[in-house]
Amino acid sequence: MKRRTLTQWLSAAVVVAGLSGQAALADTKIRVFSGGQNQRPDLMRKLFDAYQAQNPGTTIEIETGGATSELQRQYLSTVLNAKDTAIDIYMIDIVNPSQYFNAGWLEPLDSYVGGAAALKPYLPVYSQANLVNGKVAALPAFADAMFMYYRKDLLEKHGVKEPKTWDELTAAAKKITEAEKNPSLQGLSIQGAPIEGAVCTFLLPYWSQGKQFNDANGKLTLDKEAATKGLDMWLKMVDAGVLKKNIAEVTTPVTVNEFKAGQVVFAINWGFAWDVFKDAADSQVKGKVGVMPLPAVAGGKSATCVGGWQWAVSAFSKNKPAAAQLVKYMSTPEASKFLAREGSLLPVFQSVYTDADVLKQAPWFKDAANVIIAGQARPISSQYGQVSDVVRTNTNAALARTKTPTEAVNDIEGRLNRVMR
Amino acid sequence: MLKTLRDPSEKVLAWLLLTPAFLLIALIVIYPVGKLIYNSFFDLRLSGGANLGQFVGWLNYQDVLKDADFWHATQNTLWITLITVPGALLVGLGLALLANLPFQRKWPVRLALLLPWALPLSFCGLIFAWFFNTDYGIVNDVLRRLGQQETTMWLLRPNWAFAAICLTIIWKTSSFMALILLAGLQMIPRSLYEAAEVDGATRWQQFWQITLPLLMPSIVVALIFRTLTALQTFDIPYTMTKGGPGNSTETLAMLIHKTTIDYLDLGYGSTLAVFMFLISMAVTAVYLRRVGQTA
Repeated sequence: MKRRTLTQWLSAAVVVAGLSGQAALADTKIRVFSGGQNQRPDLMRKLFDAYQAQNPGTTIEIETGGATSELQRQYLSTVLNAKDTAIDIYMIDIVNPSQYFNAGWLEPLDSYVGGAAALKPYLPVYSQANLVNGKVAALPAFADAMFMYYRKDLLEKHGVKEPKTWDELTAAAKKITEAEKNPSLQGLSIQGAPIEGAVCTFLLPYWSQGKQFNDANGKLTLDKEAATKGLDMWLKMVDAGVLKKNIAEVTTPVTVNEFKAGQVVFAINWGFAWDVFKDAADSQVKGKVGVMPLPAVAGGKSATCVGGWQWAVSAFSKNKPAAAQLVKYMSTPEASKFLAREGSLLPVFQSVYTDADVLKQAPWFKDAANVIIAGQARPISSQYGQVSDVVRTNTNAALARTKTPTEAVNDIEGRLNRVMR
Repeated sequence: MLKTLRDPSEKVLAWLLLTPAFLLIALIVIYPVGKLIYNSFFDLRLSGGANLGQFVGWLNYQDVLKDADFWHATQNTLWITLITVPGALLVGLGLALLANLPFQRKWPVRLALLLPWALPLSFCGLIFAWFFNTDYGIVNDVLRRLGQQETTMWLLRPNWAFAAICLTIIWKTSSFMALILLAGLQMIPRSLYEAAEVDGATRWQQFWQITLPLLMPSIVVALIFRTLTALQTFDIPYTMTKGGPGNSTETLAMLIHKTTIDYLDLGYGSTLAVFMFLISMAVTAVYLRRVGQTA
C-alpha cells in the first residue's frame, strides 16, 4: 500500500515536471493587467494580437479588473506587495508611477528604451509623471482629462453661449433648467462621492483661481482661502439648484449615466465619456453633445485635471526584456493613433491630435490637445494614496455638509502638511 | 486500549497523523499572527521614506493611542457591536421561535431563514445602498408615494447612515443567530412543555421558565460568534458608504484596510490590527468567564 502510493506520487511528479519543462521551451508568455472596462481592454487585445502576429512564440494574456482607479490601486497594491511574478506588465493610473516606483515595484525602463530621453516625444505632463527620480518608471499609454460636456441642442434652443466662467455656467444652467420645466433635469453634474474623481472636484475650482496645490518638489502650497472659496462655490451651486442636493452621492458612472439619459445640461467627466455619449446603444443624447474646456473663476484661468494611463513592467516579472519590448510597442505613435481612432482614447503625442484620420473620427481632438497641455497633474507624491484619501473624504464631507468648507480645508492642510513636505 | 497506545509504532503513527494538521495551523494562524506582531514594531511605509524596514520599538503603538481616527473608528465599531449584536439576537430569537412552530411544511420557513445568511456581505451592502439611495432608492420612493415631498438623503447624514448600516447588519446576521437558536430549540424535550401544561403554566411562563434557560448555551455560542464578527465589521459599511460622509461611519477594520492597502503603511496598519486583536481577545475573555460561571 505504502509503496504503491509513493510510486504514484513519483510518477505524478515526473509528469508535472515534464509538462512545465515543455511549456518553458515552447514560447514566452506575457501576462498584462490592463485595467477595467474604461481602459478598453478590447482595443488593447487588438494591439496585442497584432504584436503576437509580428512576434511568433509570444503569447499575451490579458487580465482585467477594478472598475475605478482606487479599486485597481487596491488590487495592484496587494499583488505587488506580495511580489507576485504572475503579471509582467501593469497598466497604471497617472498618479501611481511615483508611488509604485518608490516602493520598488516597477522595473526602471532606462536600459530598454535608451534613457530618460525616450520620454521627450510625449506630452509634457506625461513625460514628467513617468520620470521618477531621474529614471523611466513607465511609458504613457493614453491620455485623459476632465472635460465639460454640454447639451448643444439645449444651449442653442435657449440662446445660451458656451460659458467661460463658473458664474456664467451657473446662470446658463439656471436659465435652461427653469425654461425646460423638467424637474429631473440637472444643471451640472460633478463627482462628490469619496472617489478619486472627488480629488478633481476639489482641485478644479481651486486651480481655476490660479493657485497651486504643490510646488515642483511636491511640497504642499495650499492657499486655504482659495480652497475654501472653491468648496463654497459648489455649495452655492447646490443652493441655487444647479447641482443636485445629494451631489455627495454622485460617482463617475452616475454622472455618465444621467447625462446619457438626457437628465443633465452640463457634466464634468473624463474623456472616455465622449465615446459613451456618442455611441452607446441607450444614449439619449446622440448628436446633441458638445465638449469645451472647463470654466474658470472670473479673472482666473481655465484648468483641468489630467488623468491618463501608463504601461509599467513589474520588478518581479520573469520576462523583463520581453515585457519591456511589448511596453515600447504599446507606447508608439502608431498605437496611440489606433486607440484614438478606434476608441477616442486621447493620444499622448501632440502630432496625433492633428492627424487627419483621427480628426475625422473625433473632431474635438483639435482643441483637446490644448486642454491637456494646459491641464494640471494631480499632486505627484510617493504617498499619493494618502493624499488622495484625505482630499476626497474631506471634499465629500463638505459637499454632504457634515463639515464646513473651512473645517474641511483645515483638515486637509493639517493632514497633508505632514505627508507633503 | 492502553496497550495499543503504548505500542511505539502506533505512537509514531499518531504523531505522523497529527503533524499535517499542526503544520497547517502553524502556517495559517501562528505564522501570520506572529508576523503581524513583528511587523508592528517596524517602519514599513512602502511608499518611500528613508527609514523603510527600521525597527521603531513602541513608536507605532504610541502613535495609535494619539490617533483621533483610531479612537473614532473604535468608537464606531463598538457602537455597531452594541447595537447590532442584541438587535440580531432579538430578531434571530423571534425568527427561530417562528421557525420552530409546528408548520405543515417546514422547508419554506427554513429557506427564508437561510437566504440572508447565504448572501455575500458585500452584495448585501450594495443592495441596501440602493435601497437607501436618495434618487433611485425604494425607501424614498415609498415615502414619495406616501406624499412626502422632502426626502431624506439617508446615506449622507451621519446618524441616518449609521442607522442604515446597523439595520442592514441586523437583517443580514439575524438569520445566522436564528439558525443556531433553532438547533438549540429543537434539543429541548417536548415532555417539559407537556408537564408544564399539566401544571397549568401559561405560554409566557413556559418561555421564561423552560425555553430561555435551556436555550442559554446556544445563545452564548451565537453571541460569541456574532460579537467577534461585529468587531470585524468591514464589508457592509465599506460597500454602503465607504465610511462616508467624510469618515463618519468608518470602522476599525476599514481604517486598517485603508492604512495598509491605500496608504501602504504596513507597520502602522499592523499595529492597528494588533489593537483590534486585543479588543477581540478582551471581549472573548469576558464571554468565556461568563460561560464558565453559568455552565
